[in-house]
Amino acid sequence: MATGSESQTDDLSTRDEESGAGEIEARVGLRYTLKQVKRDTTARIGIYTVGFVTLVALLAAIDYYLFDYAVAEAVWYSPVRDPDQVNRLLPPVGMENQFGAGAIEHPMGTDHRGRDVFVRLFYGTRIAITVGFMATGIGLIGGTLIGSVSGYYGGWIDDLLQRVTETVYAIPFLVLVIAFMTAFGRDLTFAMIGVGITSIPVFNRLIRSRVVSIREEDYIEAARAAGVKDRNIIFRHVIPNSFAPVLVQATLQIGVSILIVAGLSFLGFGAQPPTPSWGQMLSASRNYMLPAPTFSLFPGIAILITVIGFNILGDGLQDALDPRINN
Amino acid sequence: MGLLRYTLWRLVQSIPVLIGIITITFFLANQIPGDPVEIMLGPSPAQEQVEAIQARYGLDRPAHERYLTYLSGVASGDLGQSIYYDRPVLEMILLRLPVTLYLTVSAFMFAIATAIPLGVISAKRRNKPADHVSRIVSLVGVSTPSFWIGLMLIIVFAFYLGWFPARGLPLPWEAPADIRGAETQLQVIRTSLHHLAMPMVALGTLQMAQITRIERSSMVESLQGEYVKLARAYGVPESTIVRKHAFQVAQLPVITIIGLGLSTALGGAVLTETVFEIQGMGRLIITAINNQDYELIMGTTFMFGVAFVVGVIITDVAYAYIDPRVAYGDE
Repeated sequence: MATGSESQTDDLSTRDEESGAGEIEARVGLRYTLKQVKRDTTARIGIYTVGFVTLVALLAAIDYYLFDYAVAEAVWYSPVRDPDQVNRLLPPVGMENQFGAGAIEHPMGTDHRGRDVFVRLFYGTRIAITVGFMATGIGLIGGTLIGSVSGYYGGWIDDLLQRVTETVYAIPFLVLVIAFMTAFGRDLTFAMIGVGITSIPVFNRLIRSRVVSIREEDYIEAARAAGVKDRNIIFRHVIPNSFAPVLVQATLQIGVSILIVAGLSFLGFGAQPPTPSWGQMLSASRNYMLPAPTFSLFPGIAILITVIGFNILGDGLQDALDPRINN
Repeated sequence: MGLLRYTLWRLVQSIPVLIGIITITFFLANQIPGDPVEIMLGPSPAQEQVEAIQARYGLDRPAHERYLTYLSGVASGDLGQSIYYDRPVLEMILLRLPVTLYLTVSAFMFAIATAIPLGVISAKRRNKPADHVSRIVSLVGVSTPSFWIGLMLIIVFAFYLGWFPARGLPLPWEAPADIRGAETQLQVIRTSLHHLAMPMVALGTLQMAQITRIERSSMVESLQGEYVKLARAYGVPESTIVRKHAFQVAQLPVITIIGLGLSTALGGAVLTETVFEIQGMGRLIITAINNQDYELIMGTTFMFGVAFVVGVIITDVAYAYIDPRVAYGDE
C-alpha cells in the first residue's frame, strides 16, 4: 500500500503541472477524492460496506414512508405488527431453545413479541443511517460556521465562540445529550439534534485550525486586497480548501454518531417502540439474555458492521487524501 | 512557570468553564416539561401543600433569581436538595461518585496496559502479521458499542461459564460486614475485583482501541526520527532504541488521546452501569431524569463536567511533566 499511494501522488503532481492547475485546487473536489479512494483496497471495502448498508436503509425508508411497511408484509413479515406473542423468542435457524426450534421462516429467530428479528434488523438500518448522516450534518454545518468565523476574524469573536464550544465539550457528551433530550423531547429528532450539537466542537476545532493557517496565504490576502467580501472569502476559498480533512472526520463521525444513538436508544432515549431500531432491540433483549441469548447477538453485529464500514472508509479516505501518511 | 504554577494556572482557567457548565445545565433543567410538585404530591394536592413545597425549593421565584441562587450555592458547596431521595444532592453524589471513578479509572488502566504493548509491537513489526492483528483488534474495538460488549460478556462469562458475577460493583474499601460472604478486608477486595473485571473490559475496550491506534502511529513516527537513525548508526540494539529512545517521545499524543477519551468513558459509564446494574453516577442521573428530580439532574450533570475537567487537567499536567516545554512556554 505504501508504494501505491506514493506513486499516486507522483502521477498527480505531474498531471497538475501539465494542466497548469494549482496544486491545492487539484487536491480538493469530489472527483479527485473518488479517484483516490478507488485505488485504495481498504477504502474500497469501506465504500462497499457503507454503500450496502445505505442501500438497505434506503429500501427500508421507501417502504416505511411510501407504503407503511406493506412491502415488508407482502414479501416477508411486518417489522412492527404484533403477532400476539406467538412464536416468541425463537432461536435462529438450526438452533433450539426452550421456546422451540428455529425455522427458515425466521432465519435469525424472533423477538420477545414474536416479531421476526431479521426484518426488524433490516428496517432498523433506516434509523441508524438517518441518525448517522443527520447528526453528522448538523455537527458539520454548525462546526464549519463557528470554526470558520472564529478562525477568520480572530479577536474577541474567536475567544467567545471557542470558550462556548469548550464548555459544551466539557460535559461528557452522552450525559449532555441525555440532559438535552430530557429538556426538549425523548424522540429520535432530538437525539439527532443533540448528538449533532455535541459533535460541533470536533468540526469547529478542525476547521478553525485550518482557517487560521489558510488566512495568511497569499491568495486570501490578494482576494481581500481586491475587495472580495469576507463572507465570500470564507465560503469560496477557505472552506473548500479544508475539504479533505473534514470529509475524513465526517465519515468517522457518522460511525461515532451511530454508536451514541444506539446507546441512547438502549437507555430509552430515541426511536420509540414499535419503530424498529438496533439500540432498542438490544435494550429489549436484556431481559431475555439467559433463555434467548441470540436475540442480543444480531443487533450488535449489525451496529458493528455498519460502524466498521464507516471507520474503514474514513481511514481509507485519510490515506488516499493525505500523501504524507503512507502506512 | 514551574509545574506547580502551571497546575494552578490550569485550575484557575477551568473556573469559567465550570460556570459555563452550570449555566448550560441550569438552562436545560429549566426547560424540562412537567411539574415537580405534581410528581411529589400527586395529581391534585392541596393549595397550601403546593405553596409550601414551592417555597421550600424556591420554585416560586423567577428563573434568573434561581440561577444566581444556584450559582452561589454551588460556589459554597451546596448543590441543592434531591426531591426523589429527600437528601442533599451532594450527599447522593458523594455516595455514587466513587463507584463511577473506580470503574472509569480501572477501565483506563486496563486500556493503557493492553494498548501500549499492542501499539508498540504493531509499530515495531509494521505491515507484518502481528501489526495486522493489532490493527484489526483496534478497528473492531472502536466500532463496537460498549454496552453490547457488556451484554455479550454477561451471556458468555456469567451465564454460561459462571466465572464472573453479572451485576453490582462493591468498592474494595467497603466494610466486610456489608458484603455478603466476606469476612476480611482482603476478601472484600477480591469480591470487588471479581465484580470489576467484566464492566472494566466493556468500558475500556473503546479506549484500548483508540490508544492502540495512536500508540502505533506515534511510535512509527518516533522510530523514524533523526535521533533513532543516529542511535542505529552507532549500533545501539533495536530493543534498546525502542525502549529508551523512541518510547518516551511517542507517549505525548497518547496522553492527549487519554484526556479526550475521558468524555467518552464517563458517558460510557452511564451505559456500563445500566448493563451491569451498578449503582454509580450513571444510574443516579437516569433515576433523576426518570423522576424529574431537577436539582439532582443539575447536580449530576455538573459533577460529570467537573470529573471531565479535573481529568483533563491531570492529563495536561502529566503532559507538561513529560514535555516541560509546555509548562515553561509563554502561556
